[in-house]
Amino acid sequence: MAELAQTGLGAGRVGQRRRRSPAPSMLPRRSGLSVAIFLVPPLLLYGVAVLLPIVQSLFLSLFSWDGITDMTFVGLDNYAKMFARDDVFWTAFGNALGYLAICLVLQLGGALAVAALLTALPRARELVKTLYLLPAIISTVAIAFLFQRIYSLDPVGPLNQLLAWVGLDGAQTAWLSNVDTVLAAVSVPEGWRFTGLYMLIVYAALIAVPRELEEAARLDGASWWQTFWRIRFPYIRPVWITTTVMATTFALRGFDIPYLLTNGGPGQSSELLTTYMYKTAFVHTDYGYASAISVFIVVECLVAVGLIYLLLRRRDDS
Amino acid sequence: MTTPVLTRPPETTVPNPPKHHAPARPPRLRAQRALLTITIALIVIVQVYPLLWLFLTSFRTAADFTSGSPFALPSDYTLDNYSRAFATGNLWLNILNSFIVTAGASLLIVVAGMMAAYALQVLGFRFSGAVRSLFLLGIVVPVQIALVPLFIDYSQIGLLDTHLSMIIPLAAFSLPMAVYLFSSFYEYIPRELYEAASLDGAGPYRIFAQITFPLSTNTIITVVLVNSIFIWNDFIFANTFVLSDGLKTIPLGLQNYIGAMGNTDWTATFAAVCVTVTPLLLVFLVLNKAMIQGLESGATKG
Repeated sequence: MAELAQTGLGAGRVGQRRRRSPAPSMLPRRSGLSVAIFLVPPLLLYGVAVLLPIVQSLFLSLFSWDGITDMTFVGLDNYAKMFARDDVFWTAFGNALGYLAICLVLQLGGALAVAALLTALPRARELVKTLYLLPAIISTVAIAFLFQRIYSLDPVGPLNQLLAWVGLDGAQTAWLSNVDTVLAAVSVPEGWRFTGLYMLIVYAALIAVPRELEEAARLDGASWWQTFWRIRFPYIRPVWITTTVMATTFALRGFDIPYLLTNGGPGQSSELLTTYMYKTAFVHTDYGYASAISVFIVVECLVAVGLIYLLLRRRDDS
Repeated sequence: MTTPVLTRPPETTVPNPPKHHAPARPPRLRAQRALLTITIALIVIVQVYPLLWLFLTSFRTAADFTSGSPFALPSDYTLDNYSRAFATGNLWLNILNSFIVTAGASLLIVVAGMMAAYALQVLGFRFSGAVRSLFLLGIVVPVQIALVPLFIDYSQIGLLDTHLSMIIPLAAFSLPMAVYLFSSFYEYIPRELYEAASLDGAGPYRIFAQITFPLSTNTIITVVLVNSIFIWNDFIFANTFVLSDGLKTIPLGLQNYIGAMGNTDWTATFAAVCVTVTPLLLVFLVLNKAMIQGLESGATKG
């Protein structure tokens, strides 16, 4: 890594002399050594804990290893097993997509709706923002406790009590042990937790839309609905893309709440790729296969980000 | 969840309607305003109610909790839960550990983030674009990728079960966003400032110490506030790398309350949750403007 920085520096000085350096220095004088002194320590920290583990995971995923006996090279067999022979993997993948969908609806849909309403509220906006963000500062362990009680059937927790009050006694269930409801039940807390964060971001963007644009549209007879979708939403599209990327990658790496609430159960009905990978690594100590799954999770995140840019950009052009 | 409401307030979006218009159509406008206010109030109540319930339950008696309606106010307020919470677990130790990890990681993030941003943005070099995208990659990469490799590395160098085993990955995974925030701020420090200092004979180190660093105060506050939420609440690294009770941070300590004796003492557990939430909650309520601004800027720029 130091080597990389060094070569970069020498070249940088040449580039500057030609005044065509891609990132010109803001200082009139600086040495290559000073760049190295500032750059190497942070890069080392980042390299040791983020970049190196990525390489190590790629490497480990080609082996079969339980951490005790010798490693055996198995080539791509871990990946072959993952794609062709492991039903749990596909169940977990499907669940992860369901988890993602619920989180996105709650976080992005909820954020956009509440932010749009909030821009019309005459006062107390700061108070609403503060209260709305509160769940984001609570730890996932606390949230898991909380929702375990909220979903409880015996004693009757708040959710089932609410259903009884509105006359939906039939819908009462033990949300976390019912195979049909458990995936939604573990996704909702995650959606709830961060919806305030995304609401803030979308709100800040909506507030920044120039008022003249909206007023011009209104004068031309556009309704509130039309103004929103034709003027305000296109204006905040860059922020919307960022928010979508954040929400998607956060949901794809979601782990704490399902792990703590159900540990993937009952059966595999709330197993996500992340919880499955964790168990493969630290319960079954199958490091090779766990690494293959974690590589898949990274690829999945990168593909998702690529897709988001592709889809949201394309619509921008038309 | 709330989408149907969107269609309701058709014209209320003008927060400052021209003054002379106001008396012209008061009834309709007032009705819309009221509807809007009620809608938002309802949404906020649904959003905050679980936390309120948590707080109220921590003052309930155990009998009230199991038999009473979950929506009723406690019939009896008691502080017993809190004394049981402190008696069962090592709450103070957990809080201390969380402080150590949060402070250590924050310091590392701020120092490393400023240094990297200074090299990338102020000093500049040939491959700064490549290094920058290397850092940006870290925003997308999920932390799970690091668990197995770090676990193996730590066990080989004896770093497993230490504060540092949590601090290093927490700082490293937060570094990309910090680098991003610092460099987008450094972009706006006027070049003339540096040129003047250079004329006075200041080199890159003195310029960093006397100009760039002092100017960074606001960004430092933002970076620390935003990251503290995530670090204080980290579960996955702590759960993977820490085993001994003496090192457990709050999220791990809370887990001890579950099923310690077959069945869980829920009211005491909720009291423990309330205690551990308090430090961050206080910081949040005191500094919520700065924190909200930080979160907004972090994302709208990123």
